[in-house]
Amino acid sequence: MELLKLESVSKSFGGVQAVHEVSLIQNKDEITAIIGPNGAGKTTVFNLISGIYQQDAGKIFFRGMDISELAPHRRCALGISRTFQNIRLFNNMTVLENVKVSYANHLTYNFFDEVFRTGKVKKEERELEERAFEYLKLLYLDVYASSYPGNLPYGIQRRLELARALLPEPNLLLLDEPAAGLNPSEIRELMEMILNLQHTKKLSIIIVEHHMELVMNICSRIHVLDFGKKIAEGTPKEVIENEKVLQAYLGDLGEVC
Amino acid sequence: MNRDVIIQQILNGISLGGVYALEAVGFGIVFNILKFSNFSHGGVVTICAYVGFFISTRFIPSLWVSLALTILFGGIIGVLVEKLVFRPIRVQNKPLTYFFVNSITVAMIVQQFFSALWGSNYYPFPIFIKESVFQLGKLVVSKSYLVMLSMSAAVLIALSLFLRRTKTGISIRAASSDIHTPALMGVNTDFIVSITFSIAGILAGVTGFFLGMTYTVTPFIGSMILKGIIASIIGGMGSLGGGVIAGVLLGAMESLLIAEVGASVTPIIIYFAIIVLLMVRPQGIAGKLYSVKA
Amino acid sequence: MFYSKVLETTLIFSIFVLSVYPLSGLTGLFSLGQGAFIAIGAYTAAIGTLQYKLPPAISIMLAICIGIIGGVIVGVPTLKLRRDYFLLITFGFSEMVRALLLWMAQLTGGAMGIAGIPYAAGLPLIAISAIVIFFFIANINKSAFRRNCIAIRDDELATQAIGINVYWHKIKVFILSASISAYGGALYAFNMMFIEPNLFDWLESAKLIIIIFVGGMNSLLGVFLMSVIYYTFGEVFRFASVWRDLILGVLVIVVLIFRPQGLFGTIKTVFPTIRFPFLQKN
Repeated sequence: MELLKLESVSKSFGGVQAVHEVSLIQNKDEITAIIGPNGAGKTTVFNLISGIYQQDAGKIFFRGMDISELAPHRRCALGISRTFQNIRLFNNMTVLENVKVSYANHLTYNFFDEVFRTGKVKKEERELEERAFEYLKLLYLDVYASSYPGNLPYGIQRRLELARALLPEPNLLLLDEPAAGLNPSEIRELMEMILNLQHTKKLSIIIVEHHMELVMNICSRIHVLDFGKKIAEGTPKEVIENEKVLQAYLGDLGEVC
Repeated sequence: MNRDVIIQQILNGISLGGVYALEAVGFGIVFNILKFSNFSHGGVVTICAYVGFFISTRFIPSLWVSLALTILFGGIIGVLVEKLVFRPIRVQNKPLTYFFVNSITVAMIVQQFFSALWGSNYYPFPIFIKESVFQLGKLVVSKSYLVMLSMSAAVLIALSLFLRRTKTGISIRAASSDIHTPALMGVNTDFIVSITFSIAGILAGVTGFFLGMTYTVTPFIGSMILKGIIASIIGGMGSLGGGVIAGVLLGAMESLLIAEVGASVTPIIIYFAIIVLLMVRPQGIAGKLYSVKA
Repeated sequence: MFYSKVLETTLIFSIFVLSVYPLSGLTGLFSLGQGAFIAIGAYTAAIGTLQYKLPPAISIMLAICIGIIGGVIVGVPTLKLRRDYFLLITFGFSEMVRALLLWMAQLTGGAMGIAGIPYAAGLPLIAISAIVIFFFIANINKSAFRRNCIAIRDDELATQAIGINVYWHKIKVFILSASISAYGGALYAFNMMFIEPNLFDWLESAKLIIIIFVGGMNSLLGVFLMSVIYYTFGEVFRFASVWRDLILGVLVIVVLIFRPQGLFGTIKTVFPTIRFPFLQKN
């Protein structure tokens, strides 16, 4: 069942064509990846999907609706969530508070409720606290709940970003280089975690990655970008044997070959 | 307004605009490399105004000598401010907001300091030039304005040459794109930052001296660099040339407006126009629009 | 009697600080234009009562309304811009308001200001106002409002991308700020009985920001304490008020270098350190 569709989306930045007529389809309950050499436009595609950039041409559909013109916060409300290539956590809030931020769309109290701190606010905040804690526990972060992100190890910060993205129970999760900076055992943990999450939370996940081990092992389909264009798509096996992909990557596939 | 009056006003305005241009560049040069709005510039201007006053009244009544000394002093003050106030937070990699807060604080400290010591008096500069005006056809040209204009022009040209032809100058320009570039070029970043503040200080010296000469020296004289900051904004944050053009234009516009609608309405019109300009074209005349990499 | 006056002044200015706290402290939107809203509130109240013979209570309400309207007019177009531009525009706005007040001398008394405003805001009203405003802000400081503010301050792009309508939130904060500032301004007018255009220029706005910084950007209590200390000190040592600002200035720079979380840091650390804040080194 089709969840996300990109139709011939293009985006350029002052003369540099970052993304050129890229089309792709993402279904429910699948884990796919977008790979490609550096500068291929992968993160730009994510930014287009989440709405941070506006595409120059093409359309984006989510759950059957045309979201091409929607602002980022509305897309989140519809069920798209993401993590970032460079970790973007809020350093002046505790870990627990960081996670809570993403739930903003689902809170029903308004400003005046907050000013008077009505029962509604207290109730929802209590529920949010429990919920946030559960997600921390899920990712083995509960022990860090009162710490500040700045002091935490890199791997923990990555997991925190993941927890924050998961809290609003999205339908589609975009992971931007989740394995960057992790050592092999951490990567294996990450793989298990992603598979687990996908299964229990019924998520659809797109991963942008360079670590081929991760991609090959957990993705059912892979899209390959090079210089902003999609040059291949298929199962891991198909992609590995694809001439064009090998050419684009020459040398980067390393030990997976 | 007939044509002669217009030309007269523009002439007066350009001279004042030259000072605004100096302010704009002094403000902008620090913004370029450290990316924050350096409100302490006004404080340095104030200090230089007082220094200029004291030197020219107590020691050497010559225009050029006291100006030169003030400029020297300004350069030193600039570096001092950098080392005392901004270096410590720069080495700690503090966020930009800290720089801004510190800069405003310096402005405040300077204003308060001079208010406390010499606040109640007005200090007029000595009259440097005996025959204060001369005729040029139908126009009346004030000699001191001429001095200001030529001096401003000279300083800006010198600065421009410095930035383009010397290694240090080029390093400063490189630092404007990315503060880490000079280090890659083998140039000491700290040195570049200090030099830049020193240049700003030199500019402040000229500015303070001329503002003191034109108006009287008060603790609030530094607030006059507001116009310069505005010129910097209109010209485009990041473009020194734009700042110069905007400064001169601002001076001319201001003069014309004052003659036309009076000195009370003029600021309203100018500020309103700036607000509108910033909303319509935030990058100003020559600036660039930055966006954050996601 | 004297102490009553000191308290009144301290509390009014603390209200100003409180009004700026959500905007510049929590959300990090430095505005050099809050003074303009205070002035707008003060002048509206004064003119309303003196020229239009409105009872003070109505004038104050009017001041708040004008503050809200002003907040919308200024906020809606300018909050779309980058932070630096926002700063500079609010600065321009503050100067423009000052120029306007000087120019509309018919209405505002120009440079002479307005004198003879009736004393309608005494200690009870001011104290209750301060307490209520503190209470309201403390409340919104406990839930999503606070989180959204800090998130926007720490990383606006991420905040936008994880589902918060940053622009709308900024506008809410700005209007909140503007309205409380205007209210404070009205109280000021009815308490000090004299107002003039230069009372609330950009430097005064800057001082509010500085107090927030020194008090601790993340700590409401810290900020309030700092404000009380600063203004009480200023009132009690009136003759040395100029030196007070000098000391504040030096203090800011020192704090920023050595204790950047502010003198009073986070709320949790207020009490243990409250005795010797100056001796605590980071």
